[in-house]
Amino acid sequence: MTYRPYRRAVQAGVFALMFAVPILNLFEIYAVTGTFYAINIGGLGIADPVVILQAVFAAGTVGGPLLTAAIFPIFLALLFGRVWCGWMCPYHVIADGLSWARRTLRSRLFGTTEPEPLSIPRPFTANMTRYGFLAAGVIAAGAIGIPVLNYVSAPGIVSTEAMILVKERTVSIEIGFILLLIVLEITVLPRFWCRLFCPTGAFLAVFRGPFTLRVGTGARNPKSPCCSENHCSTACPMGLAPFREGQNLLCTNCGRCVDACTSKRLRFMGF
Amino acid sequence: MSDGIKSFLARVFLHGENPLATNFRENQLRPPGAVDEKRFMALCIRCNRCLEVCPYHSIKRAALGLTIGTPYVFPETKACYLCMACSRLCPTGALDTHLQNPEQTAMGKAKIDVTLCYSHLFLEHDVLPDNTGNRIGALCNTCYNVCPFPEKAITLKDNLFPVVLDGCVGCGICVERCPTRPRRAINVTPSGMGRVDEAGFYFRKARKHHESTVSGPMETPSGSLKGEKLIERKYNIQGTTDKPQFQYPYEPQNEIEGWE
Repeated sequence: MTYRPYRRAVQAGVFALMFAVPILNLFEIYAVTGTFYAINIGGLGIADPVVILQAVFAAGTVGGPLLTAAIFPIFLALLFGRVWCGWMCPYHVIADGLSWARRTLRSRLFGTTEPEPLSIPRPFTANMTRYGFLAAGVIAAGAIGIPVLNYVSAPGIVSTEAMILVKERTVSIEIGFILLLIVLEITVLPRFWCRLFCPTGAFLAVFRGPFTLRVGTGARNPKSPCCSENHCSTACPMGLAPFREGQNLLCTNCGRCVDACTSKRLRFMGF
Repeated sequence: MSDGIKSFLARVFLHGENPLATNFRENQLRPPGAVDEKRFMALCIRCNRCLEVCPYHSIKRAALGLTIGTPYVFPETKACYLCMACSRLCPTGALDTHLQNPEQTAMGKAKIDVTLCYSHLFLEHDVLPDNTGNRIGALCNTCYNVCPFPEKAITLKDNLFPVVLDGCVGCGICVERCPTRPRRAINVTPSGMGRVDEAGFYFRKARKHHESTVSGPMETPSGSLKGEKLIERKYNIQGTTDKPQFQYPYEPQNEIEGWE
């Protein structure tokens, strides 16, 4: 089974939802309201767990609707892992396009066709950076009483800009942050935001158990590669070696490695 | 080190006041049902649902600074019509979701600038310098006519000129409709703007701004009637006999041809 077309369909659907919500609202249909900071779909409130975490720290207490809004994303993460990142996040779609652009530019400019090694920095370093950034942001939010990580929440900003674009025919200054990320991802390090900083992805990865959906081979001793070709490692956008690091907090369950595995040993496992 | 800096540092480090969290300006209001500004800044997650559901497009995002992305109502361009759709939907409680009675909201308080208000100028000072330099008189009372809570939020003193009462919720409809330009004769001061405990670091800035917007008593030419006396005289004007002593920006026609 190839996951890629399904993933692209879900991504396209979520990307279209970003624009559909404000268009529906312009026609005074309020069944779906909100952006990817917090959204309400027909009465089901869903909020970014990092947003809720910050609000708890910044305001001291936080009431009813916001806490219940955390249930759905956490439930999703517990069952399916970080599928928000790999399958839905609008910034991840942009990052997919940017990594394609970078690959094309590399082959045009330098004539290199072999895939870029993505293992720098190592997954461990990447995770430490991510959680350090998340912790610093939450502490800062508690200290100054403002949910500061919202200023740099890439999916939230992208969906907000889509909403403003539809509703007010303009963009706000926050789009500069997204443009900065785009330039840096093309020139410096591909997918550095998702791998090194994104607080939403980091916090979602915390919610996992032994039953959570993950990639693996089912082998008893997954330390050594199961084949010599290692397609899975080159396919992984997060720079993991999926045959043994399916449990890593960086894994988004995007299914690229499963698609790339020629020996069909990699598969989704869990519950 | 001057006392000002010292007291500022003491307030930030000893009393834990946040110099960055609040930013008050006249005619810049939070949507109805907003909790006090500090807590609002902590709770508002900038999801912009209030902005999406506002049927009048009254709510705008703050464009710059730490408040970026948070909702504001700018009554000079579009006032709040108190439909309370936004506070019903707020997921965080930054807007009080239980507050559904528009009369209980406290977005601010309207304040009439008597040096600009047409009615006050006309009735109390008999003059209105308009932008051509001419002196004309006018009775306006637009603010009273558009107010959603007449006689609770605003009343007509002596049935003549508007006075804001305590029931004002600060929706800003009067500001939107006030005809004076460039500055409106009626402006809304957001709740919390004049209070030290809420305004924090911005209190001084807000107070200065507030003081600059409130002008002193109008100077009238000596010898002319003022205030109550003037109003009394105007009550007694007889349309058939007296001719009011106004200065018109044009030559008034006393005789019309063909009329008896």
